[in-house]
Amino acid sequence: MTYYLTDGSEESFYTAVFIAYSDKDCIITSERSIQLGLDVTTVDVVADGEKAERVKRKLHALDRGAEEDIQLVLKSNAALKENAAFEYIKLIIAQGGAVRGMLAHPAVIEMTEIRTRVYGETHRLKGLLRFMENADGVLYAPYSPDNDITDLLAVHFAARFSSKRFVIHDIKRAIAALYDGNEIVMTRAEGAEICLSEYEEYFEGLWRQYYKSVNIESRPHEKQMRGSMPVRYWKFLPEKR
Amino acid sequence: MLDAERLAILTESAKYDVSCSSSCSKRANAKGGLGNASVGGICHSFTPDGRCISLLKMLMSNACLYDCEYCPNRRSADVRRAGVTPDEICELTINFYMRNYIEGLFLSSAVFDTPNRTMELLTETVIKLRKVYNFNGYIHLKGIPHADEALIMRAAKYVDRMSFNVELPSERSLKLLAPQKTKESLLLPMKQLSTAMTYDRENKVRRGRVIPAGQTTQMIIGASPESDGQILRLTEALYRKIGLKRVYYSSYVPVVRSAKLPDAGAGLLREHRLYQADWLIRFYGFDVEEICGAGENLSLDLDPKCGWAMRNMHLFPVEINSAPLEMLLRVPGIGAKGAYRIIEARKFGALDYDNLAKMRIILKRAKHFITCKGKFYGSDSTGAVKAALVLDGMKEHEQQLSMFSSPSVALSALTGEV
Repeated sequence: MTYYLTDGSEESFYTAVFIAYSDKDCIITSERSIQLGLDVTTVDVVADGEKAERVKRKLHALDRGAEEDIQLVLKSNAALKENAAFEYIKLIIAQGGAVRGMLAHPAVIEMTEIRTRVYGETHRLKGLLRFMENADGVLYAPYSPDNDITDLLAVHFAARFSSKRFVIHDIKRAIAALYDGNEIVMTRAEGAEICLSEYEEYFEGLWRQYYKSVNIESRPHEKQMRGSMPVRYWKFLPEKR
Repeated sequence: MLDAERLAILTESAKYDVSCSSSCSKRANAKGGLGNASVGGICHSFTPDGRCISLLKMLMSNACLYDCEYCPNRRSADVRRAGVTPDEICELTINFYMRNYIEGLFLSSAVFDTPNRTMELLTETVIKLRKVYNFNGYIHLKGIPHADEALIMRAAKYVDRMSFNVELPSERSLKLLAPQKTKESLLLPMKQLSTAMTYDRENKVRRGRVIPAGQTTQMIIGASPESDGQILRLTEALYRKIGLKRVYYSSYVPVVRSAKLPDAGAGLLREHRLYQADWLIRFYGFDVEEICGAGENLSLDLDPKCGWAMRNMHLFPVEINSAPLEMLLRVPGIGAKGAYRIIEARKFGALDYDNLAKMRIILKRAKHFITCKGKFYGSDSTGAVKAALVLDGMKEHEQQLSMFSSPSVALSALTGEV
């Protein structure tokens, strides 16, 4: 069996698809810590724009929406996301068209489940992300998502806070989206020093008061709360810190 | 500036309004403005009672001239009173919104002056929020009964959703418990708004449509003697004749003592059953006649869909690979999403039991009512099926004694996302 190791980028994934396509016994992955068996050979895939482009063109001709699905899946933290996307592409090519309706096919189930988890976390964090205002009026939101979704969130907030400046900072991956009121820029970001606005504490206090007051104590249902708002997100929520 | 104490009073007073949804509007941001609306709605936090926070829910004032028996803010109650100015509300909304605490504002008020004066001040506030503060996030505004039509229509141009609470499920109970409100004062503005929405829709009005997210209402369950059958008939009429988006049920909690009210609260399970029936009417193609007789209550042992299936065993089992959508929707255990997924998947080949399991269709209940490629996996005896369903339901309620139970229906029941 052959392992095609990509660098995690989209281009390198599509290049790997091009190279591995006719290999009947292989796996594409960006996971470096994978356990290798005795009969395994590895191939380091070097991203090749031309090869990647050919795969994308072919895919686009068969199913216009597939590229977007794959883009979303590649943001996942699932260990075998590249291989799930690879199986999905193989199925599209075998069927000669879109396959997203084949909901009972294992490749489609796998792909849909990963996609749903990425999309689900993005949706959840559209609600749970918290901004702080700094002294210059820039909004700063540190967080630590399971999946690599900072650019997706940035698009959402750029439409919503179009005239504001903001930073969304993924602490775990050390990357950030910067928005200056005009365009979004993705960048590496290790740490951040923030000088908060003088009103920050006041509004955070009001928010904590609101959270406390709006709860109906005679109808407790903590399990429901934890299900909808998992504890791992709490450290960035003022109402839960 | 607004202090925590006033915020606490005005929030405590508003929290029994159940509606917190922020869906159904796709208002876009304006140049230089703040906010937009998300069609599906977004929940921003969850409180220990399991409910979501989507909107900043508060009253403009809790100093009420009315004396509704069930209300903690009624005139004769001895509670702390407070009020806020339009600017205080606007500033709080903007500052909460840009920190992403909330999806928008749910503004309501006690009737602290004449109905018209109260409605005017609410309207002034939302117009200020839109025009001066350039806020384009979600606004849900409570309507004040007895206010003039012109005032209500003016407000409707600026907000995403409006609601008048029918409060109680019959005119008689309304007279007894909320003497200053009449059925007409609640239903008339709902009908007027509905007419205005129909006009906009039929004339394809694009900009400045009135309440793009429609209307909702709420009624208290268990404070008055109406049966579930009666309540659900009212619900069905509100959906089908006035075109409401949601009817909320609020199980009566005895926060105030009164000779006219029962001492104990209504069970949360009853409220839950009503929500289940409500879902069947809206998303599963059921008529109220099929679910509950006029003077009857819903069974607490069996959910209304299982109840219907047990009364109609002659229609089952249905073959998963050929049953029409209407029938799949009626199989206990198969939800709306599941039914649509089955329809889609079976176009590509016949499905067996194993396929369904892999598609994460929950078969625990459904197996008694379906065949896959002609094979039946359930129990043949009606008595055994019923026992299994009841037992299954009981297990659920042991785990969660609160407002939600069956995950498929309940997850979205009270969140902002429907």
